[in-house]
Order: sequence, then structure tokens, then C-alpha cells
Amino acid sequence: MRRPTASQARAPATVLALLLIVVLVLPPLLSAYWIDVLTAVAIYSVVALGLNLLMGRVGLVSLGQIAVLALGGWVAAKLAFATSIPFPLVLLIAGLITLVLGTLVGLPALRLSGLYLALITLMLAGAITVVLSTTNFPNGGPGFLGHTESSFGNPSVRRPDIAGSDPGYFRFTVIVAAAMFALALWHVRSRPGRAWAAIRQSEPAALAAGVNITLYKLWAWALASFMTGVAGGLLAGSVGKLYTYQFPTRDSIILLAVVLMGGIYSLWGAVVAGGLMKLLPALLDDWGLPADLLTILFGVGVLQVLLTAPGGLAAQVPKDLARLGGALSAVVRREAARAERAPTGPAPREPAQ
Amino acid sequence: MPSWQDFQPFIVAGLALGGVYALSGVGMVVLYRTTGVLNLAFGAVGAMGALIAWTLINTYGWPEGLAYLVCIAFGAAISLGYGLLAGPPLAGRDPLVKAAATLGLALILLGTMSWIWSDKARSMVLPTTTWRHEVGEVLINWTQILALALGVLITLTTAVFLRRTGLGTAMRALANDREITASLGVPVRRVEATTWVVSGALSGVAGLLLSNLVGLDAATLTFLVISSLAAALIARLRSLVVTLAAGIVIGLVNAVVTPIFSISPYRDMTPFVLAAVALLFLARHQQISFARRIT
Amino acid sequence: MIEITDLTVRFGGVTPLDGMTVTFDSGTCGLIGPNGAGKTTFFNVLSGFVRPAHGSVYAFGDDLLAMPHYKRARWGLRRTFQTEQAIEELSVADNVALAHEHSRRGSRVSRRADVLGALELVGLGVAPDVKVEALGTRDRRLVEIARAVVGRPRVVLLDEPAAGLPDEETEHLGRVIRGIPEYTGALAVLVDHDMSLVSACCEKTVVLDFGKLIAAGPTATVLRDENVVRAYLGTEPVRVER
Repeated sequence: MRRPTASQARAPATVLALLLIVVLVLPPLLSAYWIDVLTAVAIYSVVALGLNLLMGRVGLVSLGQIAVLALGGWVAAKLAFATSIPFPLVLLIAGLITLVLGTLVGLPALRLSGLYLALITLMLAGAITVVLSTTNFPNGGPGFLGHTESSFGNPSVRRPDIAGSDPGYFRFTVIVAAAMFALALWHVRSRPGRAWAAIRQSEPAALAAGVNITLYKLWAWALASFMTGVAGGLLAGSVGKLYTYQFPTRDSIILLAVVLMGGIYSLWGAVVAGGLMKLLPALLDDWGLPADLLTILFGVGVLQVLLTAPGGLAAQVPKDLARLGGALSAVVRREAARAERAPTGPAPREPAQ
Repeated sequence: MPSWQDFQPFIVAGLALGGVYALSGVGMVVLYRTTGVLNLAFGAVGAMGALIAWTLINTYGWPEGLAYLVCIAFGAAISLGYGLLAGPPLAGRDPLVKAAATLGLALILLGTMSWIWSDKARSMVLPTTTWRHEVGEVLINWTQILALALGVLITLTTAVFLRRTGLGTAMRALANDREITASLGVPVRRVEATTWVVSGALSGVAGLLLSNLVGLDAATLTFLVISSLAAALIARLRSLVVTLAAGIVIGLVNAVVTPIFSISPYRDMTPFVLAAVALLFLARHQQISFARRIT
Repeated sequence: MIEITDLTVRFGGVTPLDGMTVTFDSGTCGLIGPNGAGKTTFFNVLSGFVRPAHGSVYAFGDDLLAMPHYKRARWGLRRTFQTEQAIEELSVADNVALAHEHSRRGSRVSRRADVLGALELVGLGVAPDVKVEALGTRDRRLVEIARAVVGRPRVVLLDEPAAGLPDEETEHLGRVIRGIPEYTGALAVLVDHDMSLVSACCEKTVVLDFGKLIAAGPTATVLRDENVVRAYLGTEPVRVER
């Protein structure tokens, strides 16, 4: 619909360059520990992306995304152990099944208004967590639940053949994550994105324009579920062994905090969120500081964003940079204009200010 | 299928817990109706108060009664502080934003508790827990009786208070329409502050009781708020008596299912499932929910 | 043509619309009345935000009330709001495209052309790629009107488009509104308090007071009608002190 401006045409090139650096240059430079950390950052960025879309585009809050992540992981582990489907396909199917489950929940739940919707997601996530703590995750065992208690150590979820090593799996994860971001971007720039913008600002206006609000809310919900399901599959392949304690309720709240802090009005905010959630704790650990400080920081962050800076970091930093850029270009333009006015000889002296 | 005798201790435990869920639920409902804030940090506040009391008793040798009072005062103070700080900037915003902000408070408290107290197992024994009775074949302690009694008492007292006193009427007026109430000359800020104080004190009381009924662990106590929340939601964040009934039912069902081995592992689902069903039931007639921006 | 029969809306103890029976013919029709007369409620019934207690609305032979709200826009019902609702984070073109792509009566091929045509009709002198949040009230209103006329609407409801605008803008608005039936073939209903605008745009006008219809007919006649004047000025005769 829109013809891209010059700066918009540059952006994909920058992103692609960044992606190439991350995928090709980084892995050999990092130790195994940091590769693990960055893999987690990539995975949780995708989870954050789902919530970022829900909150920033449609104005919906879900407090249960970590439970959805666990569901995705469960389905992926089940498929990985019970079948020999290639791993990328396992991810896709896990995403699709999570999409279906998410939509089934969304159909009745989306009729609720903001607060009640958030609360019902909290309740359902709690229920899922209780069930999972009893059924556990598939680990190659028999039956539908596919879990056996074994004292010999559980087998790990298999990885794709070409990405079996940690650095290899890191590259694979980053590429899948990039694909998810591309999917999100496509949505935002086309018809669903426009409909979401209308819904977020004014549901009456959206209706008056013919937007089927229920459909588009469900679409966002389904998309977020799909992505989080895929992330769950990536997580299963990454850590190999899934346990309920990896998906605590507290993480759903922390996810909300980091997504808010990263900024919900820009997709980059999800990347920042992933970093806040998984990179910062590792850094703090490295520096010998307690991780609890982060929990406190995130709490303060939530309050700060909600009370003052709606756009979060992703909006604030570009704004500051843009302001700087604007000031610089204004100076450049002024000098150019001055040079034009006096093409021969030195510029006339400016009167004293 | 277990026998009636097997159920009895669980019925007692369930009633006691239900009483605490009820009084917490009432605290949350009154606060929500008066200020529009659904305080999801309710449990965290009580947890930290209980931990402070524990430290005062066990590390500094304070007399127990005084320490318990500090716990309740702490609950009141932190809640008031939060209400004064976060109340005005968020005053006109969607209840979702106000509730999300309390999650910020919850995280701050959780992090602080984890940092100062870490996850060591602790126990704090109220004097009422040591006074035991045998009723039939069950051993009941006075903390359990206190919990249930307080639950009922606080619900009824609050209900009467809201209807009969000037302050209560002011709270109900605020719940109805803040702007109009302010224009009538009601000291809105003072009424809200009072509500925060009372709600905070209740969270301190709940923290003390739960530390005995369930255990003194920061995370557990914090997330038990979900059960109280479930009771409040079943009451549609409105009726205090329904909150009481719902709280007791949740406590009872959760506990009574324990000896039934086939479904026992799923008993903790009780509050979640009941609340989810109640919420969906609420939604059955909804058409458009005019959503507003998150920030 | 829109045929309204015995339309009644009740909520709480109030009856904002009471047995409204009237027919809007083609062209542009005015709908006036003092504040609280029920004009916006009427629009809300047509939009589907409010369900009437009883009554019927047939537009071009179709039962409007039987359609779910978002389908009415697809059918060709468009409206603007008292406080303008142009979507801030979208560009001007995207705002207009929003209505076009959700209407079955617009095809993707002609979308860009239709959007630009609508923008030209309303005389918006702003580049289509500009984000609406950068625009002032007057331009935002025009964007909203462009959104209401793009594609092939059948009924265009305009709710106080001139509110808060200075006289020159109102004149421009008048020219735009007069052009709507010709450009789109739609029936337009204009609600406004600016009587000169209503006189300039509408051949026929309907008057509501306390939810009841008190006059309908050629605009000039209606504006001179005793009942209408009394409705606006009150029932007490005006006394001049000497």
C-alpha cells in the first residue's frame, strides 16, 4: 500500500547484516556457556514477541504465556520422541497445535474485557501448571503422556541433524527466531496490522469501518500462541530435558515486566525483552551479584513504564537518537544554506546573537 | 474411597484456609470497588510481613505479640505507601493497568524477600496453634478456628460497615463514581488512603494465619493470593457474602480432595478452574468490550 | 432510501428514542434537534452499538437491524463520530484503506485509486503517507470523512462534522458534503447544530426532540416551524424587559 521511503528501504539491509553477524561471526567467539545464554535469549525473544504483539498491537494482556511455552515444549517433546519427523517440522506442528489450543481458549475468553481476560489467562496457566507437574513432560516413555520415571537419566529431545552441536543449534534457533519476527512484521505491515491499530484505538471506529473485531483479536491470539508454541519446541531442543520447575508462574509475571520495559510499540522491544530476561541474569551471575536484584529491578521497571514512559526502552532510545540526528542534520542544513547564499568569497559575518 | 473419619481433618483444614481466602478476598474486593485497584500483590505483602515478624521473634528476640502487630502494621504501611505513590498517576486508567502495576509491587517484594530471607524453610508458630482441642476424632487447633471465625467476622463486619457508617457510604459512593463523589465534598483521597490501610492490615493478618496453616515460604504465600482472587472473581468483585462462601468452598474442595488419591494430584487446580468457570459465565452476555490503550 | 418504523430505545429509566417513524429519501438529509434529543442514539442504532427495544430499519430494502454490526459496514454503512476517530498510528492513506479493505464493495485492484479519489473529494491537502497523529482536528475530520466515502458506500452518517470548526472550514465542509451523493451514489444523513451548514447541504430535514419526531420536510420550512423553534429555545415565551 505505502511506497517505502528511503530510510525504510535501508532498514532491512541493516537487519540482515546484523543477522549475518550474529549467525556467522558470534558463535566461534563465545564459550559454551554464553552460547547457551544467547540461545535462551533468542527463544525468549520469540515468547516476548507474542506478548508484545498482543499488548502493543491489540491491547490484550496474557499472564499465561509461560504456560503456553510449556505446552509447546510438551507437544514438541512428544513428537520428537514418538515419531521420527524432522525437527523443523516438529517445530511447525508444535506451533500449529499450540495455535489450535490457544484459539479454543480464546474463543470464549476474548469476550472478556482487559482485566478479566488477563485474570482468566492467569487462572488457566495455573491449571496447566498443576496438570504438568503431575503428568510431567514426555521423555521417551510409553503411552500418551510419554513419561517414565527413570533413575538412569532421561534421554534428551533430539535436535536437527545439521544443528546437533550447541553453536549449530544456536544458529538454527536464531534463524527460526528471525523467521518468527519476519512473520510478525508481515502481519503488522498489512491488513491485520491496520485492523489491530484501529481496534486498539477505538473499537467503535473499527466496527464502523467494517473490521470484524472478534476475528482480528482471535488472529492476534492465534499468532501469539503459534509463536510461543514454536519457541517451546526450540526450548525443548535446546535444554533437551523439560521439567515443570522451568516454567514457574513467576516467569509469566517477569515476562510481562520485561515486555513492558522493552517497549510494546516496536517489535525490537521483544528482542530487548529477551535480553532482559535471559542475558541480564547471566551477566549478573558472572559479576557475582544476586539474581534477586533483577526481580526487584523488573518490578520497578513495570511501575516506571506504566506510570510514566509508555513506549518503553524501544521507543525511548530511538527517540533520543532521532532527536540527536535531527539536531545534527539541522546544523548541516544551516551550513549548506549559508554556503549557497555566498557562492563566491567567504560567508558574510553573522550579526552578534 | 476414604472414610468419613479420613475426611474430617481435611474438612477442618479446608474450612480454616477458606476462612483466610474469604478475609483476603474481602480485603481485595473492598479495595477494588473503592479505588479500582485489584491488588495482586496482596499475598506478597502479607508474606513479607510474616517474614519480618519471624525475624523479629527469632533473630532479635522480640515478644511475639509485638512482632505480629509489626507484621500487620507493615502490611498497612506498605499498602498505604503504594496507594499514595501509584494511586494518583494511574487514577483515570483502565483497571487492567492498575492491576498490572501491582504486579510491579509484587515483583519488588518477591525479589526483596528472596534476597533477604532466601528460600530457607522456616516456621512460625502462633500461640493459637499450640492450643488444641479434640472434637470427635479430629484434632483442631485454635489457629484454624480463628481463621474461619475471622473470615466470617470480617466479611459480616465489613458488609455492615459499608452500609451503616459514613465512611462506608463514602467508600460505596467512590466505587460508584469517583468524580461525582469528589464533587460532593467527600474527601476522596482520605477515604482511599483508609481503604488501603485496612486492606493492607488484612493482608498482614492473612500472612500470619497462612504462615501457620500452610507454611512460611515467600513464593507459596505470594501465590496463594490466586485462591483469594478466585473467590473474589466468583463474587464478580462485588458481593462480600459471595466472596465468603466462595472462599470457603475453594478451601474445602481443595482440602477435601486430598485423601482421594485418584484426583488428589490435581487438587491445586480447584481455585483456577472455579475462577475460570466463573469468569466465562460472566462473559456469556458480553458484546463489545471497549478496550483502551495499555499505556 | 431508509425506512424507519416505530424505532424505540430504552435504557435505565430513559427513553432516548420514542417511536421514531420517518423515511429518508435520496440525497443528503439533515437530522437536527437540541442536545439529548436522541440523534447520536439513532446513529448508534444504525451502527449496531445499541439495540432498540422495538422498531425496524430498512435501508434500500435490506433489514439493517438483522445484520451484525461489522457486517453493516461491509453492506455499505459508514459513519463519522462526534469526537473524531481517525486512527492515529496509521497514515492518512491507511486510515481510508481500512474502510475499503473491509468492505465487500471495494476491490483490491482499485484500492489505491479509490483511496486517492476519496482524499481528493474531501480536499485534504496532506500527503497520504503522513501519520494521522501529526494532524490537527480539521484534517483528522477530513480523514474520517474520506474513510466514510471511499469505495461505494450506500449510507453515510455524519455526526456533527462541523463541531468546533471555524466558519471557513465549515464552508469547505459544506461543499464536500454536498458532493457526497453525487460522488458515491450514497444517501447521506447529516447531524449538526450549525443551521447554515444544514440549510446549505440538505434538501430535507428531520427534527427530533426528547426522542420524538417533531417535524420533517423541506429544510427551509422545518427551520421556520414553530415547534422546532420552541424545542430549541424552550417553551417560555421570550420576554423583553423595558
